[in-house]
Amino acid sequence: MSTSHFVPAQWLPKASWKTAGLLVPGLLLCSAVAAGPRRQEQHFKVAAHPVITIHNPNGLITVKAWTKSEVMVISTPASDRIEVDAEQMGNRVDVSTRELSDSVAPDDMRADFQINVPEDAELQIHNDAGNVSVANVLGDMNVETVAAGVDLEDATGYLTVKTVGGSFTCTRCAGRIEASSISGNFRLLDLRTYHVWAQTSSGNILFTGQFLPNGTYSLKNYSGVIEVRFSPGDSFDLSATSLKGKVNNEAKLTPSAHQHHFMPRWGNALFGTFNEGRAKIEMTSFDGTINILKRD
Amino acid sequence: MATITCREFQAYLEPWMEGERPQDVQAHLRTCPHCSSVVSDLELIHTEASSWNAAEQDAPERVWTSLRAQLEQEGLIRETIPEHEDAAKVQAPRTGWFSNLFPQLPRPVLAGAYLAALVAVAFALSGPVNKRVNEARWLKGTQTSTSPLSAQLNFAEQNSNTYIARSNPDVTASLHQNLALVDKYIALCEKSVNEEPQNEVARDYLYEAYQQKADLLTQMTERGENVQ
Repeated sequence: MSTSHFVPAQWLPKASWKTAGLLVPGLLLCSAVAAGPRRQEQHFKVAAHPVITIHNPNGLITVKAWTKSEVMVISTPASDRIEVDAEQMGNRVDVSTRELSDSVAPDDMRADFQINVPEDAELQIHNDAGNVSVANVLGDMNVETVAAGVDLEDATGYLTVKTVGGSFTCTRCAGRIEASSISGNFRLLDLRTYHVWAQTSSGNILFTGQFLPNGTYSLKNYSGVIEVRFSPGDSFDLSATSLKGKVNNEAKLTPSAHQHHFMPRWGNALFGTFNEGRAKIEMTSFDGTINILKRD
Repeated sequence: MATITCREFQAYLEPWMEGERPQDVQAHLRTCPHCSSVVSDLELIHTEASSWNAAEQDAPERVWTSLRAQLEQEGLIRETIPEHEDAAKVQAPRTGWFSNLFPQLPRPVLAGAYLAALVAVAFALSGPVNKRVNEARWLKGTQTSTSPLSAQLNFAEQNSNTYIARSNPDVTASLHQNLALVDKYIALCEKSVNEEPQNEVARDYLYEAYQQKADLLTQMTERGENVQ
């Protein structure tokens, strides 16, 4: 199709170099847009407890639960030099980003995902940079990142999160949580979990939530602040040790009724029982500060 | 009468188990359920160990050797055999380090009570009487276990740096920043261990820092392989 069809005849006499100068870049822009990010939507029928794996080098990954027995993957690659593969193997859906040539610039190796899964899905997500956000998924979950942050909401099951520098926020989660990082901060908010194991080297750890009977809560860092907030009705045995830092406590503790602790020869330590001591809390830091504070 | 604190009591623990009964320690034990409980536990272990039947048949030498090897591997014992003594002495542990600690114990029972032995030996090593010797042993033990690891990790670090050259800049930066962070923690932990060789918390943190570095270097290497 000739471009002359789009130019009104009365303009032709005035169709100067100026007009051509406007049209040509416009057409080039259109073609560039057409070759840019290609949004792709795919649907996969699945049975109960499907497994969804996602491998992506960089980008925003948003996973939400829905009531359909179906997995929907909407992907948006940052360039045409990469491609998103999504394929089903039985009750498993594998999503991955791969480069189409050997010389893909790091900035082009990025894809964003919006994924809907059944509530009982199991997730395995690997995303180096960007962010991972999961909401309302009740199955087990394993998330590994380097710099990407991880946000989980209303998740249950066995949740394992491992980052190098990415932060981790878990809101209203239940089940079992194991999180580790080197410099990431952890925010564990309004939890209802029986088992928490969180370890970060230089990051802060904030825990607000219920200390369930027979629950175990282990929070450890090297530096930074570990903070737990308790309610008057909570019941726990507490052990807090900072080798070279401080332990600040607002809980009225009584000598431990369940276990005998050796007083450590090094550092600052606090042991005791709050109410009946039904849960067990262990906090350890090398030179960080440990705060045991009343919840507002 | 002035009594002592729980922390101070730990310095009296070994003399107490050896029969010394200072009045201030007795006073502390009468008022402190925690320390009296600890003493009760240790006395129970000692009593049980003493009651084992010495007439039982000896276990094979390999059992005894294995026990000793395990204790040495744990870093709980480290005996220097003088050069002029022959190897036969090593084969006769009844007259060596262990029989001095529990002279009445038969070998087969000891082999079966490995855990109790660990507690007892650790207790003996943590005593203030042998503090200087023990600190040197702990330090040597820690250095012996970490030196090869440190060298291997440094070698792996050099390789990893070349692997991740083409990776995402943000990811590369994060990996390097965190590697520097772990290296810093390793240095601080090593300093703490050198200053207080028996500080088990510092040693735990040191080992964990090494583990983190190993994990990090593994990730860096894998990432590098992915982009090549």
